Amino acid sequence: MTARERRTRILQMLQLIPILSVLVILFGGALVMALLQSLGFAPWFGINTFPDFSYFGSLWGSQTFWVSLWLTLYYATVSTLLALVFGTMLALALIKAFPGKWLYKYLYKLPLMIPYTVGIALAVIMLSSGGVLSRIVAFAGLIDDPGQFPQILKTHYGWGIIAVYVWKQTPFITLAVYAVLLGIGRETEEAAAILGARRGAIFFRVTLPQILPGIVSSTLICFAFNVGAFEAPFILGGGFPDTLPVVAWRYFNDADYTLQLQGMATVVSIGIVAGVILFAYLWVYRRYERRMGRH
Amino acid sequence: MTQVRLNSVRKQFGNFVAIENLDLDICSGELVALLGPSGCGKTTTLRMISGLERPSNGAILFDGKDVSEQAVQDRNVGMVFQRFALFPHMTVEKNVAFGPSVRGESKAEIARRLDEILEVVQLTQFRTRFPAQLSGGQMQRVAVARTLITKPSILMMDEPLANLDTKLRVEMRRFIRDLQQQFGITTIFVTHDQVEAMELADRVAVIFDGQLAQYDTPERIYRYPRSLDVADFMGATNIYSGKLLSRNRVRTALGDIDCPHQNDRSAGDAVQVLLRAEALDMNIGPFKSAGSGLRGRIMARDFFGASVTYRVACNEQEIDVTENARRMLDVGDDVQLEIAPEQVWLLSG
Ligand SMILES: Nc1ncnc2c1ncn2[C@@H]1O[C@H](COP(=O)(O)OP(=O)(O)OP(=O)(O)O)[C@@H](O)[C@H]1O
Ligand SMILES: [Mg+2]
Repeated sequence: MTARERRTRILQMLQLIPILSVLVILFGGALVMALLQSLGFAPWFGINTFPDFSYFGSLWGSQTFWVSLWLTLYYATVSTLLALVFGTMLALALIKAFPGKWLYKYLYKLPLMIPYTVGIALAVIMLSSGGVLSRIVAFAGLIDDPGQFPQILKTHYGWGIIAVYVWKQTPFITLAVYAVLLGIGRETEEAAAILGARRGAIFFRVTLPQILPGIVSSTLICFAFNVGAFEAPFILGGGFPDTLPVVAWRYFNDADYTLQLQGMATVVSIGIVAGVILFAYLWVYRRYERRMGRH
Repeated sequence: MTQVRLNSVRKQFGNFVAIENLDLDICSGELVALLGPSGCGKTTTLRMISGLERPSNGAILFDGKDVSEQAVQDRNVGMVFQRFALFPHMTVEKNVAFGPSVRGESKAEIARRLDEILEVVQLTQFRTRFPAQLSGGQMQRVAVARTLITKPSILMMDEPLANLDTKLRVEMRRFIRDLQQQFGITTIFVTHDQVEAMELADRVAVIFDGQLAQYDTPERIYRYPRSLDVADFMGATNIYSGKLLSRNRVRTALGDIDCPHQNDRSAGDAVQVLLRAEALDMNIGPFKSAGSGLRGRIMARDFFGASVTYRVACNEQEIDVTENARRMLDVGDDVQLEIAPEQVWLLSG
């Protein structure tokens, strides 16, 4: 290594120090602490039974944990998939020219700028029994009384949660896919059409493989958020058994502070599940990319 | 083998008229070049023929049948795009096999035609590569192969050689010409290089600002341009205004020149005189008597290897003379220029 190369190397390291220190100290440190606590190390509560797997044992041994896990993954997956389908369709529509396009391009981004809590409040106003939607349906004469409106919120189907996630994340996925679409241009699609491909073949064989990187990264972010998010299932969910983040929150908020450790075990479980799923997803995608000759 | 006809086709983007009343007749099996400066509407014309763009007015006919209502997929045309538009996520084989595969050909048939066409474009050894791993010339051949394998009845190429270096361009020109003759496909290609158009095409359509300026054989367009713009675009430099002295003699600032007999012009008419640089003969003496030829002196010399172009001052005018580089004259030499009357071309104005 020449002196000049050494100097650039040192400069690079200096540039990385701020972000590295944040990652290592704050994030890595917190991760280690969470793991230690979930394994029974909390001397500040007068508890130190490290290493103690009983917190994980009692958590994973209970029936409700698995129901909670199922609900967490179900809400996260369904809303990510719906947002993906809507977002991709919207992005495909937006690259074509149509009258009033500038207005659409502005409007569709609005949910991105509105906080989740506001979205949740909107869902309560619109979708609850006695909410605006039920009144409109009643007014239209489809039901006799707003009270007969089917329960959308506070069920374990989670329509309210899914609605909020989809509402918020569709524009996010649109944004990501739209940017990729602009980058690849229309020419390969036109070439495919001239070669005889119909719309379906063009999308699945030409467009989709090219926008896949955008789809993978944006759905990764959405899914990770949906697994860990707390407000929407807390306010709009069906109650016990709750999703895992809500379960963790209940443990942390319990008067019995020793339950903190149980909460930590829950948080670590969420981390493990999300981590395994996301890595598996990435691994499958990487394999696909390699088969396609990319890296 | 399809005959193509454009019937007063017009294309408007918003308020902007890209193509104005274009009439074009392309015979079956013919190779036609669309030639014109950037932005004159060449790509737009191809896109309308392929069906990617709808004419605002007029009709496009294949073998006499109006195809306006026919979808892109049903026209059975082929197009090689200006930037190739290869599928980046597919190997060379997958790219080439795409057309037959979406048309539902059998696996065996696709494999057979794939091998055949890869052989023709000499890409067999690159069949498992991705477009990003190919050179410009190789990508271009993939684009051509991908189109030819679908057996299009009309082949369109949008500046197929623009991205290639000089040597490759010559190679590819020959390659396209051979292919076209081998398959006998009606071919339309776009270029803004007049040399390329002349070398490749049976006929050249010169387009300016969305209007057809001239449609003729390369030789006729080069020798007998219909307007100053065409002459200028084809690289003519020696254009002088003049006045007819009689039906076969014209007076210019250079001197009096014999010209072919003008049937529809008469003495006194104002004309533009086009003297092609390579049609002029240059004598270095002993000079013939006055009255025949124009006396001048060499002012500058540009050497192109096989040919030399001299700039000659002649009666205070400048005139370019191109000749074979077998002899070299020097700046300052006195010369006498002669031109055979049949090499002189007159334009109105
Ligand atoms: N979709 C479009 N919307 C608006 N104007 C367009 C569109 N497509 C082309 N034009 C305009 O029409 C004119 C002709 O365009 P075209 O692409 O046919 O030019 P070209 O002859 O192929 O030029 P080049 O040699 O630079 O490729 C240009 O002035 C261009 O700006
Ligand atoms: Mg063009």
